Amino acid sequence: MLAEQIRAELEKQIAAADHPQELAVDVMLAFQEAAGYLSDTALEAAAAMLKMHPVEIEEIATFYTFIYREPVGQNVIHICDSVICWLDGSESLMDYICRKLGIAPGQTTPDGGFTLLPACCLGYCDRSPAMMINRKVYGHLSRERIDDILARFEHEEPA
Amino acid sequence: MPKLIIDNREIEVPEGTKVIKAAEKLGIYIPRFCFHHALGAVGACRVCAVKFQEGPVDGVQMSCMIDAQDGMKVSTADPEAADFRRSVIEWLMLNHPHDCPVCDEGGHCLLQDLTVAGGHGIRRSKGRKRTYTDQYLGPLVYHEMNRCIQCYRCVRFYREYSGYSDLGVTGIAGRVYFGRLREGILESPFAGNLIDICPTGVYTDRPSRYTGRRWDFERTPGVCIHCSLGCRTTVSARYRQVVRVEGRFSQQVNRDFICDRGRYGFYYADRPGRPRNGRINGQTVSAQQAVEEARDRLQRITQEHGPEAVGIIGSARSSLQTLSALVHLCHTTGWQGPVFRNTWIAGAAADAAVRALSPENAFSMREIETADAILAVGADPVNEAPMLALAMRQAQRTGAEIIAIDPRPLDWPFDFAHLACRAEEMEETLASAAERLSASRRPVVICGTEITDDGIVMQAADLVAGLRGSDKRAGLFCTMPQANSFGAALLDESNACAADLADRIETGQIRALAVFESDLWHVFPDRSRLSTALEKLDLLVSVDFLDTPLFENADIGIPSLTVFEAGGIYVNQEGRAQQVRPAHTGGLPIAAAGLGDHPPRSFSPDVPGRDMPAAWAAAFSLSGQAPPETDAQMTAWMRDNFAVLADLAHMEADGVRLFAGRKVSIPDEAQIPEKKPDQFLELLPAPTIFGGEPMSGHSQCLRELAGLPAVWMARADADRLGIADDDRVSLGFENIEVTLNVRISDPMAQGVLVVYRHPDIDWQPAPDGKRIFISEDQIRRIEKA
Repeated sequence: MLAEQIRAELEKQIAAADHPQELAVDVMLAFQEAAGYLSDTALEAAAAMLKMHPVEIEEIATFYTFIYREPVGQNVIHICDSVICWLDGSESLMDYICRKLGIAPGQTTPDGGFTLLPACCLGYCDRSPAMMINRKVYGHLSRERIDDILARFEHEEPA
Repeated sequence: MPKLIIDNREIEVPEGTKVIKAAEKLGIYIPRFCFHHALGAVGACRVCAVKFQEGPVDGVQMSCMIDAQDGMKVSTADPEAADFRRSVIEWLMLNHPHDCPVCDEGGHCLLQDLTVAGGHGIRRSKGRKRTYTDQYLGPLVYHEMNRCIQCYRCVRFYREYSGYSDLGVTGIAGRVYFGRLREGILESPFAGNLIDICPTGVYTDRPSRYTGRRWDFERTPGVCIHCSLGCRTTVSARYRQVVRVEGRFSQQVNRDFICDRGRYGFYYADRPGRPRNGRINGQTVSAQQAVEEARDRLQRITQEHGPEAVGIIGSARSSLQTLSALVHLCHTTGWQGPVFRNTWIAGAAADAAVRALSPENAFSMREIETADAILAVGADPVNEAPMLALAMRQAQRTGAEIIAIDPRPLDWPFDFAHLACRAEEMEETLASAAERLSASRRPVVICGTEITDDGIVMQAADLVAGLRGSDKRAGLFCTMPQANSFGAALLDESNACAADLADRIETGQIRALAVFESDLWHVFPDRSRLSTALEKLDLLVSVDFLDTPLFENADIGIPSLTVFEAGGIYVNQEGRAQQVRPAHTGGLPIAAAGLGDHPPRSFSPDVPGRDMPAAWAAAFSLSGQAPPETDAQMTAWMRDNFAVLADLAHMEADGVRLFAGRKVSIPDEAQIPEKKPDQFLELLPAPTIFGGEPMSGHSQCLRELAGLPAVWMARADADRLGIADDDRVSLGFENIEVTLNVRISDPMAQGVLVVYRHPDIDWQPAPDGKRIFISEDQIRRIEKA
């Protein structure tokens, strides 16, 4: 599930940490990186590595927006719905993307290209409204800008 | 100490007291969901809002989060605070189902009470309610997540207070979910407390769901008799049977909680197989007839063969009333006994503990919580005295170091250092571990009496005496095998054990035996010897509320009342005598009288099945004496006739401490247990929380938790014998052959095989002073089919 090298590196960090729990998110992200999402088996494996109870891992995984407990599309769009972005119209942007992609928040497009999820803050309040696709954040959103950004991904060849 | 004013009344409270607690001292109840005095404050529910009108804090704030400070003027009735609380409740009710009539919590629901009290009556929200999927959490706790108001009490109790981790809180915001990762039985043996602690109906008592509303029940303060701790309970009875047991607060004993064995152990009392009629030679008769027949036949045997021909056996699961009545019975008739010790060694260890405990050194569980170092020797609290484990955990949470000296694999809900050693190494290990208490100020030595001998108990007592001598507030805490082991040791004059009577039966000296509430069949070390001896008797009388094999095989069977019908006094392992009142009038439960259908429609002034005697009354009757008429007269009789029980006159809410008043006897020469021979393994039968105790073993819901019978061994032994985890092995010793699953543990003592008592292991050897050794070649691995 994890490449040997990555596992060894994480185990080294866990051994060096005062509390192994500190590395819970790193371990979960490593498993997610490898499989696209955090599967049940990956969750159990992460718990074993961290010497935590699996439900303790599940608590963090289901709390933290950027851990996916179900398979997601090739690109994951997180639209910020926190206060500043909301004041700046994030609701109508979410609605726009939903109509554009033909999916509701939490769903994946039939071709597996995009998953749409909310995020409770991206830290881009100064450039609100904002969204994040994969690991990159885009601010000052408008419908036109969203069209532009999404077009870049649509023309990408599937990996 | 800060002084503050709450609702125009001044109060002075210790530094660090929260405002909500300060108000409680004035008798002012501030609403709360998340705050619980055992769990502390987290400020999660927002319903304890009060108005700070003057002083260092200003405005509406949470009274559970703010320390009482000088100059504070607090109002609970201020309109702004009251409105705030009303809004919080309205918001908590957004998603809570409006179905109190079909919820089992209805009638004793804090949310229901505070919704009414807070003034929220009409729903304004038109939105849909959030719903969840419930989980199966095992046979004890029923889960209904839709009712949840996110107070976090359950997870805080389960994780922080009791130290188990399989219940968690997942999700975020409106999706917060309290449950397990997957459905399954909750791992904590304290899970039943979730039912008491949940302020609404998320966790309800599964076996007793829909047996009635709280106001339908006869609720009586009780004391648990399923181990030696004597935790306080509240017993709910309806239609002449016990339906539910809950924890009851006790300052010195269990505080708020009880274990699941104590909560669900009561089903023996009303199970269909319980003896409710007398029996003479297999014929069903009334209880009274059986008593009279037993009296006459015992008298005849006494006349023909002398009083030495009759032996009396009792046990430490009986009330102090029964134990003292048995002593009196033997005094007045000259009959032999009463024998309270099943085996010599178990009695000797408990007796040593009773001698060693004094008002100065005997600690209560409350005092264990404040210890800064704990040394436990030969004690496995989770299996022998579960609530002790929670008290130890509270000590550990405040920084106490805990050391365990024990051969068994120990699975405790807190961190501890396990010095695994065999019985013959215990003395030396204890002596060297004692040094680790030198830096502590409030050390406690916990000593078991089930797998240890009197030498270890006295060594532990000496250690405590030494620590007290060097100016430490040191205490001794001994666990004992049964609810009234302390009481039995106080009254036991003969120090004889059941094997001594067996000798005299074999020589023909004893021709009749009357056995009172005894589990001899399961604990006597040599069953074939016991059964031959019993057959040799002219008369076997059994008085019991359990249908034990002894009762089934007795010539005369006399049914006795349970603690729920007769009440009684039980002396816990720290010498605390506690009074139990009857929980209901007794008699055949209406469910049984009506054959499971509607209660019978024929009416009579008497209650069917109420003619059974308490065991103590039967004891009086066997010698032809009239028993005292009331419980109060019986207690007075006990005080007058037994000097050690004189203090029963001072019974208070927390009970009364009885002590033997004998000086600690230092053993002349500590007997070192025999050494384990090479090429042999010691077979150690050990008590276990579920299924090993005779009364709670009848609870079906607890049997489900007992797991499979297994033999535990150390990794080094398993490797040497070529045995792997989960293998099946056959153990042979003394003509007995048993097959068990293997569990490998590390750490546990090498050279020891631990077999926990289990309802499915009929073979339950109890070492009678001798340890049981099995040759390595008698341990055979069985190939799986």
